[in-house]
Amino acid sequence: MSYEPTIVAFLCNWCSYTGADLAGTSRMKYASNVRIIRVMCSGRVDPTFVLSAFKEGADGVLICGCHPGDCHYHEGNYKCLRRYHLLQKYFQQMGLDKDRLRLEWISASEGRQFAELVDSYTETVKNLGPCKMKQVIETLT
Amino acid sequence: MEEEKRIGVYVCWCGTNIAKMVDVVDVAKEIGKLPNVVIAKDYKYMCSDPGQELIIKDIKEHNLDRVVVSACSPRIHELTFRKALQNAGLNPYMFEMANIREQVSWVHTDRGEATRKAKSLVAAAVNRITWHESLDKRTVDINPATMIIGGGIAGISAALEIGNSGRKIFLIEKENKLGGHLAGVDLTFPYMYSADQILKPLIKQVTNNPNIEVFLNTQIDEVFGYVGNFETKITPGDGKEVELKFGNVIVASGLKPYDPGGIENYGYGKLPNVITSLEFEQMLKKGKIVTKEGAEPKNVAIIHCVGSRNKDYHEYCSRICCMTALKFSNQLRSALPDTNIFECYADIRSFGKGCEEFYAQTSRKDIMFLMFDQKNDLPRIRKAETMDECDMLIEFNELLSGEDIEVPADMVVLMVALEAQENARDIAHAVGVSMCGNEFYIERHPKLDPVATTTDGVYVVGGCQSPKDIPDSISQARAAAARILATINIGQVEVEVTTAVVNEDICCGCQTCVNVCPYTAISFDEEKGVSVVNEVLCKGCGTCGSTCPTGAIRSRHFTDKQILSQIEGLMSTSIELQEV
Ligand code: FES
Repeated sequence: MSYEPTIVAFLCNWCSYTGADLAGTSRMKYASNVRIIRVMCSGRVDPTFVLSAFKEGADGVLICGCHPGDCHYHEGNYKCLRRYHLLQKYFQQMGLDKDRLRLEWISASEGRQFAELVDSYTETVKNLGPCKMKQVIETLT
Repeated sequence: MEEEKRIGVYVCWCGTNIAKMVDVVDVAKEIGKLPNVVIAKDYKYMCSDPGQELIIKDIKEHNLDRVVVSACSPRIHELTFRKALQNAGLNPYMFEMANIREQVSWVHTDRGEATRKAKSLVAAAVNRITWHESLDKRTVDINPATMIIGGGIAGISAALEIGNSGRKIFLIEKENKLGGHLAGVDLTFPYMYSADQILKPLIKQVTNNPNIEVFLNTQIDEVFGYVGNFETKITPGDGKEVELKFGNVIVASGLKPYDPGGIENYGYGKLPNVITSLEFEQMLKKGKIVTKEGAEPKNVAIIHCVGSRNKDYHEYCSRICCMTALKFSNQLRSALPDTNIFECYADIRSFGKGCEEFYAQTSRKDIMFLMFDQKNDLPRIRKAETMDECDMLIEFNELLSGEDIEVPADMVVLMVALEAQENARDIAHAVGVSMCGNEFYIERHPKLDPVATTTDGVYVVGGCQSPKDIPDSISQARAAAARILATINIGQVEVEVTTAVVNEDICCGCQTCVNVCPYTAISFDEEKGVSVVNEVLCKGCGTCGSTCPTGAIRSRHFTDKQILSQIEGLMSTSIELQEV
């Protein structure tokens, strides 16, 4: 009955990945559902990455970048924010719940926030139930 | 047909750090079954010399062309392993790390789940590396000049170290004189050297050194470029804009005292004889310890940890205040032999050489040490009544005796915390360094690389990195100076090659990338009708790659193919394994 969602997380190298490392070095415990992919900047997260995560069977996608104003490349996180809003609109048209995608700012010192985010987002995705995208695509093709 | 790939996978135990929570043997066994994986091994410490030699030996013996190490964070050891590959004659970019320590063994509690997650991270790395390609390191010439932000003891020490070896320094100071906080100090702990005697000759050397150009009343707004070739424009006090070019940056921007006005218990700003440690230092410097009324104080209380080590203010320890407080007691005792001195403390932290001895000496000088509860019960200071025969009374529960006490005081010295500078964030943005939650700058590695930062060519030293005393600040400053001199000596530095490239055959000339690039590194070639990346300006953020509608832009080492197959790898194993 209990289903364990799989969440793919894209973390920017400079703030968020370092924040996740800090959660590790501080031995904070969080849900093991999240799988992290490192990108240099949240601005690198191509919408096709998000869609392909669902295509491969992810139940949720998390993107983390530096706080506004703190992006290592000045404004990559703003670009990401715009794409995020567009993607969420697109999600609704595809019949996907917009909560299947989440964007959050995590700084290099926010290990605790990262751990809490993973836990709370895992809960959110758990409540949404399994994502059917992979199955749908498989039956269509 | 795709050519065959020969991948070696190494799963690290990290002693028990990983092996305790992840079944490393099982991970290696399962991953060994994946296509293209020639060998998969587990080993106690991959980063150790024998660990690296194991990789080098296998590369040669098994003719490996790619290596995955599944261990700690790539932020710690990616470079170590890339070097090992290089030593074995492989291109360093034919390497990928799976982080199963910070992201798995240290944060999860179920061995089964942790092992499963580790497998999927390693499988993803194996998938990704299949698409890795050799990249050639680019080297650039180093401009031998260095810019130092901050003219306190740290900045001065670094400037002299580099300047004396004949290299150019631009020393930027926001105030109208050099010296920083040390200029306001009388004697230094624990050996009671005079701060002036330390500082003044150094300032003189700086001003007399033809290699060191000092800019007072100057702030840094923006710094452009990259390691070896930075530039900035400054407007010193006289209003004339100056353009500076330099190859390295040392940030030595220091810290500032905490304003204790926010702690109501202490009445700073309301009770005239409650003063800060800096104000008291000024009195010592002038050689006149008197109350606001001009009288010699009969009772002096020194309160420790003001704004430090308390969640409501700063959680961290400001490090130098305990020893400074003891120094005050010593100076008070010699200046006013009959005055009662009270050290109201939370814990005495006598770190460092000579400090514990200094504490012991001080405690023999007829000084009362009284302990209070810094976390839950700060002392309260109030104006005394006439019959009390003192100016103020400090009330608190003394922890060692357990008694509620009232301490008489005619002067209260608050040992204020040290905190990040007002403009810490501006400087961080200008030079591209990260800040911790307390706005101190983050070093590249807290143990292995304490003065470098994640931005090549930018170093952080002294109080801007965390509160520290004079010898620690100077050590850091000189360490950074030595690092910089070494790179100047080589004359060239390797820069990241993970830049973007345009495939001209499929670029449609829409110029979306030109608009999103934060570094104006992409221009449009009118003749060919395609975008062109200037690799020197490109910093490899990849934003252009994710906007390009035709997929003509490739972010090297973070290509679509690499990331998409990484996703595929992550998910394939997690689903397969979940069904089992
Ligand atoms: S580098 Fe973190 S969002 Fe751009």
